[in-house]
Amino acid sequence: MRRRAYLPGPAPAALILLAGILMALPLFTSSRSTFTMVNMITTSAVFALSYNLLVGYTGILSLGHALFFGSSAYIVGIMMRHVGTSLWILFMAVLISMVFAVLAGLFVGYLTLRLKTIYYAMVTLAVAELLVILAEKSRSLTGGLDGLNYRVPEFFQNAVVVYYLVLIYAIVALFLVRRFLDSPTGKVLVSIRENEQRASSLGFDVFRYKLISSVAAGLLASLTGVVFAIDNRFVMTSALAVDRTLEALFITIIGGVGTLPGPFIGAAVYHLAADWLSSLAKVHAIFERWPILFGGLYIVITLTMPGGIVSAYYRLRLRRPRG
Amino acid sequence: MDVVIILTINGLATGLLLFMMAAGLSVIFGLMGIMNFAHGAFFMLGSYASTWTYLKTGNFALAMLAGTAVGTFIGFLTERSILRPVYGKPLAQILITLGAFIVLNEMVKAVWGPNVIPSPVPPLLEGEFRVGGVLVSRYRIFIIFFGVSTAATVQWLLNRTRLGMIVRAGVENAEMIQILGVNIRRVFAAVFLLGTALASLGGTMIGPTLGQIGPFVSTQYLLLGFIVVVIGGLGSLIGSLVAGVLVGLMNNYVVWLYPPAAMPLNIILMSLILLVKPTGLFGKEGAH
Amino acid sequence: MSDTRILRVAGLHAFIGQFYVLHGVDVEVQNHEIMVLLGRNGAGKTTTLRCVMGLVRAHEGIVELAGENIKGLPPHEIANKKLTLVPEDQGIFSVLTVAENLQVAMRPSRAKKEDRRRLDFAMSLFPDLKQAWNRKAGTLSGGQKQMLALARALINENKLMMLDEPSKGLAPVVVKGLVPVMKELRTYASVLLVEQNLSFASKVGDAFSIISDGKTVQSGKMNDLIEAPETQRLYLGVHMGGGESAQIWTSSSS
Repeated sequence: MRRRAYLPGPAPAALILLAGILMALPLFTSSRSTFTMVNMITTSAVFALSYNLLVGYTGILSLGHALFFGSSAYIVGIMMRHVGTSLWILFMAVLISMVFAVLAGLFVGYLTLRLKTIYYAMVTLAVAELLVILAEKSRSLTGGLDGLNYRVPEFFQNAVVVYYLVLIYAIVALFLVRRFLDSPTGKVLVSIRENEQRASSLGFDVFRYKLISSVAAGLLASLTGVVFAIDNRFVMTSALAVDRTLEALFITIIGGVGTLPGPFIGAAVYHLAADWLSSLAKVHAIFERWPILFGGLYIVITLTMPGGIVSAYYRLRLRRPRG
Repeated sequence: MDVVIILTINGLATGLLLFMMAAGLSVIFGLMGIMNFAHGAFFMLGSYASTWTYLKTGNFALAMLAGTAVGTFIGFLTERSILRPVYGKPLAQILITLGAFIVLNEMVKAVWGPNVIPSPVPPLLEGEFRVGGVLVSRYRIFIIFFGVSTAATVQWLLNRTRLGMIVRAGVENAEMIQILGVNIRRVFAAVFLLGTALASLGGTMIGPTLGQIGPFVSTQYLLLGFIVVVIGGLGSLIGSLVAGVLVGLMNNYVVWLYPPAAMPLNIILMSLILLVKPTGLFGKEGAH
Repeated sequence: MSDTRILRVAGLHAFIGQFYVLHGVDVEVQNHEIMVLLGRNGAGKTTTLRCVMGLVRAHEGIVELAGENIKGLPPHEIANKKLTLVPEDQGIFSVLTVAENLQVAMRPSRAKKEDRRRLDFAMSLFPDLKQAWNRKAGTLSGGQKQMLALARALINENKLMMLDEPSKGLAPVVVKGLVPVMKELRTYASVLLVEQNLSFASKVGDAFSIISDGKTVQSGKMNDLIEAPETQRLYLGVHMGGGESAQIWTSSSS
């Protein structure tokens, strides 16, 4: 059963068409809520993409990935609120986030050396919880449980501008991740996921590659947090919480672990369904506990379609034997 | 000095409940290699079912029975339906138990609502004892007695029964035990059931110590359970006991001194132990 | 002919993960015979045993125990058909005592007396173990662990015993002592033995089968192999007459 670094996505033509439609969206509508929805899906997708890099490609199960996302969101928020709202300050915030992401990525990556899978999952869970508590307690800085709202630089006060920021960011991110995975480093990561012992016996310093992967995934998550912060203008402890990591995990599973289009498809399914279900809840109270459906769906998918939607698509399309 | 005694008693009580939560988790992992994220949900189910039964009938013994029964039954269903297909696939196992956790949480919220419900102490166990000039909570003493007897029973099960022997052997080498003719799936099912029963039983007693219960119980105690299991060592029953008591005591002391530091301190303790001895205090080297 | 065959493996193919490890293994073990599987390191001998035991999925081929198909059955069911395996690392439970190791291995029988009898019998073969009865098995020496592993395999009535390198890691004098024990085993069950120690194998084996790169390349009576140093050199990389404990080399010398 041979596997490539990633399953090929839908034909480039289809992708370009999709990108084109999304790019042109503001010409057809100026509905704030549409922008919000698309932005949410996009940022969610890129965050899930960064998570996929860790889990799907390198095989590291971290439950604390949200710490990168949330911390940079908070850094942006705090700077905007307490220091100033000029573009320069935003730029500084981005730099600080990136530095923090690299440091945190190194730390978290180091943990993979000392801890085996289960322990690693639990410690990363605990570390993320720690940060949540920290955010809760530092009321003056972070607004505690109420969250932090702030203004953004004038340039980004236009919804359309922000929309394009998010979209272009996602496209660039996707492109960079693809290049990364195609590179020799990326290929090694996949081989580590497949069979760590073998990779190690082939002479690769597994730890070094895990470190690289942790830092790369962390950076990507961090930058996504920045974009999120600019779009949202409000940040809460939920940005750091386990829920956010779990959301990325779900999206990754639903869309397809170890695939590139996976996170995007998963994010779209997840958010659109969530939105639809909660609107249903307003009409029929029975839908109020709709997360049950997600949990259920998620279990069903794990049991029946381990590769998520993307692999199911391939199995249907190419009529390959199970593999 | 009085305060110290009270804190110690309370800490022991909490610690024993944590032990009950963690023991199942630990052995399930040690034997089956499954990190059962849903475990916190069973603990919570025990607390909800028992509190509800008590509020309806006023009979605490019945409530405890009901709580344990409900938790165990749901555990049985969970193992049968979704866990069995994924034995031997570690990533899928983690994902499935996570999914189960979410579903069970939502189910509880669907049935009892998302808000907290009060959980009173039964009149028989209310009040205080005088112990060496200090007033200690009767309910806490009850928990200690119950917890210690449970721990002793589990120890007995593990060391003096054939099932226990198989479990101990299986934790060390699950493959060999199959070669020797043991149907490991049946053993898994039994262990999962027992672990779940233990967790639900612990859950039935947590309500009155907190005064109220809510959906937060599953996440909070799952996290604490993990911490205890990690500190004590995966697969070790003694580890769960020692670590449970340790965490319980520490928590109580810290909450008295400076509440916000409680959870962070747990986490720091866990991290320290992991860095020094990655398999936990009593864990086996190289296991899983 | 098939009446006397306790084990029949034909055309066995198997994968481990993505590695195609066995591509055509044939082994037959006659009743009350000691059959030795020989071959270089990584040739697929251990995998063959594991496949028969049901620990590795047989992709293709025939696996029959006393004429009954056992391919595809879970290991514990195969064990209950009176087949057992002593793995390379012996599989001793170090946290259990010697007594418990034996107890956990005992298949439930109709009478307690029967159990007692078999226990005593196993102990009679290995008197050393009696002294360590209540000690944790982890404290035993290498030789004692091997004794315990064999005792465990004997404690139940088995049609076939599969042993993976029983002489490995044992001092030469202990290995020497193992020879008569092995020969005695023949009266209780048939034995399929995997060995790297060629001279040990030649002393205890009745028949041989050589696996090379996952395929059976030659089999026959042990005496024939002893008389054919070219075959030994070709497939095993060493030949006897090179000392008491000629080991099969792992380097591929053609």
